[in-house]
Amino acid sequence: MNKVRSALIFISLFLLGWFNSFSAPIQVSARLDSVNLLMGNLMTLHLEVVQNEGTKGQFKIFSNIDPSRGFVPVCGDSVELRTDYTVDTSSLGSGKIQLNYSVPVQAFDSGTYTLPQFVYISGNDSAASNHLTFNVVPVNVTAEDEISPFAPVAEPDGKKFYDWVPDWIIDFWWVFIIIVLAICLLLWAMNKYKKGGLPQILSKPVISPWDEALSALSNLKERKLWEQGMEKEYFTELTDILRVYLFKRFGINAMEMTTRQIMDIIYASDFKDKKDYVRQILNVADFVKFAKVRPLPADSISAYDNAVKFVKETIPQESDNAKDKNNSEVAEEKINSEEGGKER
Amino acid sequence: MNDTVNIRELNDLIASKSSFVSMIRSGMDRRIIGQKHLVDSLLIALLCNGHVLLEGVPGLAKTLAIKTLASLVAAKYSRIQFTPDLLPADVIGTLIYSVKNESFEVKKGPIFANFVLADEINRAPAKVQSALLEAMQERQVTIGEQTFKLDDPFLVMATQNPIEQEGTYPLPEAQTDRFLLKVVIGYPNKEEEKSIIRQNIVGELDPIVSVIKPSEIIEVQKIVEKIYIDEKIENYIVDIVFATREPSKYGLKDLASIISYGASPRASISLALASRAYAFLQGRGYVIPEDVRAVCHDVMRHRIGLSYEAEANNISADEVITAILDKVAVP
Repeated sequence: MNKVRSALIFISLFLLGWFNSFSAPIQVSARLDSVNLLMGNLMTLHLEVVQNEGTKGQFKIFSNIDPSRGFVPVCGDSVELRTDYTVDTSSLGSGKIQLNYSVPVQAFDSGTYTLPQFVYISGNDSAASNHLTFNVVPVNVTAEDEISPFAPVAEPDGKKFYDWVPDWIIDFWWVFIIIVLAICLLLWAMNKYKKGGLPQILSKPVISPWDEALSALSNLKERKLWEQGMEKEYFTELTDILRVYLFKRFGINAMEMTTRQIMDIIYASDFKDKKDYVRQILNVADFVKFAKVRPLPADSISAYDNAVKFVKETIPQESDNAKDKNNSEVAEEKINSEEGGKER
Repeated sequence: MNDTVNIRELNDLIASKSSFVSMIRSGMDRRIIGQKHLVDSLLIALLCNGHVLLEGVPGLAKTLAIKTLASLVAAKYSRIQFTPDLLPADVIGTLIYSVKNESFEVKKGPIFANFVLADEINRAPAKVQSALLEAMQERQVTIGEQTFKLDDPFLVMATQNPIEQEGTYPLPEAQTDRFLLKVVIGYPNKEEEKSIIRQNIVGELDPIVSVIKPSEIIEVQKIVEKIYIDEKIENYIVDIVFATREPSKYGLKDLASIISYGASPRASISLALASRAYAFLQGRGYVIPEDVRAVCHDVMRHRIGLSYEAEANNISADEVITAILDKVAVP
């Protein structure tokens, strides 16, 4: 009888416990991979939560995470629970599910630590895990350990052709190209020269001031300006020819000088014996150009003849050539510089 | 040679009417030693109905020159010494209350003369300078409610002392532009200086006898207006003036940084007028490039603005003008 009675009590308690286990809404347990953790290494904290299917909850410790830190400190900041944990869910049947949290744990201070209870909250229910204790083992370092030297710089894998090109060519590639082009050009020019010579740059034929003046005078005569009543144009061109000749032949800036200034210079020059020619031309020209005077045909002819005589009689002799050449060169240089100035 | 009638007649007219020029010159020579350029400049201004700004140190016969010229022309002469406390009324005149007539009466100022010497014009404030320059331009002044025409011929010769600039009121460029000529006079040479000493210690000089009347001067001014200026000369004048404005276009790139502003159209007009007067003095009825060159410095030197760079390099307006004349092609 006593045996039956004991069996009934046992069965009753078993059923009561079995039912109680099914009736608890949340169950939380915690375990570690190991009780020893090498300083700086990682191990995993496993948190297992059993709860009813369809309910949602969260560990209180992970509810307010500072994302910038990446871990939650526990045990007085000596142990860090990393926030990059993972959660797996598996169904247990009978409306229950199990959540498996895998939380990486690391510590940098040696010693023995007891992790706090991890409280899981789901709606109005909550449950706490068990306590866990583990050791953080320091790394053994002795002064006798050999320190390895730096490893040599490794060669890149799969070298390309430019890995063998010197750096100065990479930095000054454009200089290299110019040198190559210059060599090519030189070779081309040498080849061309051997075949028949390079194209010649044509220089302007050098015309002497007197030839130029005589040619201009001849051209003026052919146009028969004064014969057509264009005395003003005729004398303007005649004096311009004379002034240009004075400039190119003697270096006198006659284009920017008045009649008196030109005559003053001629009076003081080596060719003052030719002054009458110039004086007659310029005086008549001044009347025609500025005083509305219509010259007699004889004046026009005489002015032309005097201009021709002046030019012809001032053509340099052999002995004067060097000096005259110098004058012409000076005038030429001046013209070029003025043209350059105008272009600018 | 076949002269056109106008020029020939004009040449003859000038020959007959220009005899007074040599008489004035010789009359001036008897009183003023040297300073021939000053005398010619005064004659040019007189013939053009213009005014002269004279720059020179004291004691160079500036006052004597215009006083002598006034005597030779038998004209009325007055002198105004410009001082900082001078008022416009001191120049042009004012209204004075007459107790006897119980009314305001006009008291004409010294500007009512044919030849006015405005001595040291830069010592008077701007309002006095403006009053004079306005009268020079308009050739009339208004006192109270009455407007009075100034006498003809009317020539103002204003002087400036170039060395004492402290406490002066320099004439603005816009006002110096109203002077036909700006003449700069220097010291006489040794020979002239000796003659000046002899002339001034000999005692009383012979009185000056007038050689021409003001009315005849007006007639001559009308002849000067007829002197022919060819289009080529006009182009030459325009080129010279434009070279002061756009020197780079005339191959004077160096002057571009030296000239801050070029000559005004009034410069072109003045250059043409003065060239014509100079041609008259030479006895010619037409203008040639030499006439333009002869008056160019006097006409242009106060109309060209020089930059700070020019002042720093001690480059004067005369040097700029010479450079331009040496570069601009003569017709």
